[in-house]
Amino acid sequence: MTHHHASRRRFLAGAGAAGTAALLSGCVTSTSSGKSSSKGKVTLQSNLSAPQAKAAMQDVVASYAKKGSGSASLNTVAAETFRTQLPTYLTSANPPDVYTWYPGSVADAYAKKDLLLDLGEVWSSPDLKGYSKALNSLCTSASGKKVFVPTTYYWWGMFYRRSNFAKWGVREPKSWDGFLDLCDKLKSKGVDPIGLGAGGNTAWVASAWFDYLDIRINGADYHRELLAGRHRFDDPEVRRVFDRWQELLPYFDPNGTAVAFQDATTSLLNGRSGMMLIGTFFADAAPKDALDDIDFFRFPVIDPKVPLAEEAPTDGYFASARTGRHAQVVDLMRYLAGAEAQEIYIKGSSGTVLPCNPDVKDSGTALVKKGRAHIEEAAEITQFFNRDSSDALQPTADNALTKFIAEPKQIGSILTDWQREAAKIWNA
Amino acid sequence: MPDTAVLTVPGRKAPAPPPPRRGRNRGPRRTPPLVLAFVLVPLLAEALWVFWPALQGFYLALTDWDGVSAPRFVGLANFREMTHDDVFLDATGHTVLWLLLFGGLSAVLGLAAALVLQQERRGVGFYRAALFLPVVFSLVATALVWQAIYQPDGVLNQLLESVGLGSLRHAWLADQDTALYAVTVPALWRQIGYVMVLYVAGLKGIDPALYEAAKVDGAGAWQRLRHVTLPQLRSVNAVVLSVIVIDSLRSFDVVWSLTRGGPYHSSELLSTYMYSTAFQSLRLGYGSALAVVIFVLAFGVICSYLVRAFREAD
Repeated sequence: MTHHHASRRRFLAGAGAAGTAALLSGCVTSTSSGKSSSKGKVTLQSNLSAPQAKAAMQDVVASYAKKGSGSASLNTVAAETFRTQLPTYLTSANPPDVYTWYPGSVADAYAKKDLLLDLGEVWSSPDLKGYSKALNSLCTSASGKKVFVPTTYYWWGMFYRRSNFAKWGVREPKSWDGFLDLCDKLKSKGVDPIGLGAGGNTAWVASAWFDYLDIRINGADYHRELLAGRHRFDDPEVRRVFDRWQELLPYFDPNGTAVAFQDATTSLLNGRSGMMLIGTFFADAAPKDALDDIDFFRFPVIDPKVPLAEEAPTDGYFASARTGRHAQVVDLMRYLAGAEAQEIYIKGSSGTVLPCNPDVKDSGTALVKKGRAHIEEAAEITQFFNRDSSDALQPTADNALTKFIAEPKQIGSILTDWQREAAKIWNA
Repeated sequence: MPDTAVLTVPGRKAPAPPPPRRGRNRGPRRTPPLVLAFVLVPLLAEALWVFWPALQGFYLALTDWDGVSAPRFVGLANFREMTHDDVFLDATGHTVLWLLLFGGLSAVLGLAAALVLQQERRGVGFYRAALFLPVVFSLVATALVWQAIYQPDGVLNQLLESVGLGSLRHAWLADQDTALYAVTVPALWRQIGYVMVLYVAGLKGIDPALYEAAKVDGAGAWQRLRHVTLPQLRSVNAVVLSVIVIDSLRSFDVVWSLTRGGPYHSSELLSTYMYSTAFQSLRLGYGSALAVVIFVLAFGVICSYLVRAFREAD
């Protein structure tokens, strides 16, 4: 019996070894160069899985089909799955044609690897003539090709409830010192002056504070260069950002890193915290009656010599370089860039986003009007930490910033660690 | 969870029954083609869906790969990087702590629960079911409930407040000193029921005559436990140990849903570090190298134990 066993084992081992050699020679990691089929509908891969946004996308696709020049099939994927799968989609042999995603350095990283379709034809259409210069350069890759079609954007600001500010007898601050006074007053009334919401699974919200302090102190150019790896996180410029932040830490909600931003915005609406640096997307979950009561002010200017910059993340579409439906993709992209598609989307979604196409009417609420002016006054636009760098760099910021909030005295070693972790990402 | 049970049970039975005698007497017998098909087809499927990707993982561990460009072969550079990667060393420490806390406590408490609930009394089925129930729930769903419990104004803090321990109120998951322990509790809550079921099955298999003989010899309850029950449970222990080691090393869902290894890596395990390295930082080569380390650890511990256990059994 033992003998019997041994010989069988040897046979299996031999077969296994032979199999291994055969299998390793062909490899899952090899990138194929096939093209997707040239017939059928254009596939539109969307990460807009929130119910309102998903429905709005369905409306857009339906009205595109009604127009008659082509048709698209919408495939909505959960946002987190979409994010991790995107490289796989783009490198697969038969990729989806069009994707929702971000312009700027995120799109450029894929463009550098020749994965994105040149959309020059789309940009030459009359629909995109009116797009701002900032959007033009945002959608152009490092090699000078247009690789992205933007459709909507939103803005970040210090949001608060008007009725609460009136109740506490405080007003929007006009300067950094005014902001500190406001924090003092709110604290004396037993309110947590600044809500954060960097707990749960939304640690990235803290990056807004880093972004804003950096673009106010060092300017947008420095900020973008820093995130691209051309400066170091342990440089004295970055240290100044955290010195300023340290002044504010006593005013932050002590549970800032324990609750997710959704809970933090609930606290804001309930008047347990005074204000919050957040993007307009938080309003999606706000009750209707609170919506008219929400207002915001500009993140206070710290150094008037630094050109005014605001965070306004832009959303839109890019297409796979391997698509076989080139003409259909261009046609769909032109439609998405046009006024009709953007109006339909804004009507269907929560209505706090702004259209990129200047001919489109926004939702027209006072908040959106103020938001539009807020962005137009800015000399520079930044996107957000991950959009100006990469999703891979975001976790390094999450770790550094939550640690800073918990142990601000260790800022020296925190920045050294951050630089070391970030270097791994930049060199990867 | 069920997959490990399926995997380990044959292992436990392996040394036991000899093949039917009549077949052997007739000399070497041809394997019927149907049986061959039953063996080869699953083997092929397994090879394609399990062994091949696993081998690819070993290959990827030797490369530098971002998931988009072609992987670049770097030899053992990934493993050299680990030796001076603080996060990796911390994660290893946390994993060992996790193995001791989660593994040790679930074994001890699972055995205790099994001993208490082994006798057939009225209502004992209800308690067994109640303890086993958490195993049925998805750990992600479990984690969501525990997240609510641990919230700054959640159940736990309110409970502490109401019994006058308000000073202990805490952001349990957001504090680096408590995060790892806070995550261990829901994992234990689930694992104890599972280990208990394994031990109940083992206890049922012990010949009652042994206890009677021990009683006749004047052995007390403690002596019966020490000299009859525990030695008789040796084969179950092998299963429990394998299950615990595998489950400890692959504990991921509960940690990821509660803290994502944070705040700032303070509840990072090897498994969560592997995931975030591979799929967030997009360093798939280094992530694969971490996976190889986890595999070697799990495989090493289990193999050495099983080899010893079965050698003793022979």
